Amino acid sequence: MKILLVDDEKKFVSMLAKRLELRGIKVDYCYEPTSAIKNIEKGNKYDIAILDVKMPGMSGIELKRKLSDIDPKLKFIFLTGHGSNVDYNTGISEASHYLLKPLEINDLIEVLHILVPESM
Amino acid sequence: MNQSTELYKYESLAFFGEVNASISHELKNVMAIISETAGLLGDLADLATTGNPVSPESLKTHTGSIIEVIQRGFDTIRQMNRFSHSIDNPITEVNLTELIDLVINLTSYLRFAGKTNVHNCDISKPVVKTSPFILQTIIYKALETHYKNGSPGEETVISVCSQDKSIWRIIFSKMNSGKHLFPDNSIKTMAEAINLKIVNSEGRLELDVPIAI
Repeated sequence: MKILLVDDEKKFVSMLAKRLELRGIKVDYCYEPTSAIKNIEKGNKYDIAILDVKMPGMSGIELKRKLSDIDPKLKFIFLTGHGSNVDYNTGISEASHYLLKPLEINDLIEVLHILVPESM
Repeated sequence: MNQSTELYKYESLAFFGEVNASISHELKNVMAIISETAGLLGDLADLATTGNPVSPESLKTHTGSIIEVIQRGFDTIRQMNRFSHSIDNPITEVNLTELIDLVINLTSYLRFAGKTNVHNCDISKPVVKTSPFILQTIIYKALETHYKNGSPGEETVISVCSQDKSIWRIIFSKMNSGKHLFPDNSIKTMAEAINLKIVNSEGRLELDVPIAI
């Protein structure tokens, strides 16, 4: 399984990436949406993109739509520190799953395997 | 109670809610970093029990990260505390530079926030007697609209200059959204309550704050 992680919180991204790699999951990460778009435009392939909902310059939802246009097979998980019902309803309508920060790593792993069952 | 009083009350509560939501988001990010870093240390400890030693440098780096982000959390809580106490006294003496500094910190948690610097034109301290809560609401709303209409990381400059013995002028340079920084009348109502004059032109905002109301 190969994941693209996009979040502007650098320390969070690097720690989560390390934890996923320790579990045998390959991770690339970007700190901003434009880097993620360039990454996919270069032809890099991922099973799942994990996106922060609130980022400077472009929301996770806008980013998801742009990445879907480039790679329609890419699946998405949203991460957020917000917990409002509006955010949840918007997020869940756009992506396969929506997880709140702080994350429980086992919950994330479970969702990853649901989305990519062949990786188990 | 007339309509403008009710509107003012609602807008004040809405502002409090908005700032608290922004601060809670920042604190959640802090907790998320601590959680992931602590989780990683746990993962490394598990690996160590299977014969994969963990380097002391790695431990030091990760624990250092936790300490650093905890400090960030404390700074956020300090700002939250300052903000919460801004309503302790409806009218009181306020150092404008310190108040603007608080608002800059509160707006820094907005995802679209840019870089903002404040400087005092004069040697004397810019102290006025006003409503700190109303003034910080107006400044917050101006910066919020400005950041939303600008590019991420764009710089804003705020200057505090005395005009004469009765007024301190807060000047916002390089402002986006021209004349539409205050799209609704609630800010106008608040400004009137503290005799604040707002001059909003293309790329510039000036707030004339009287020495005392």
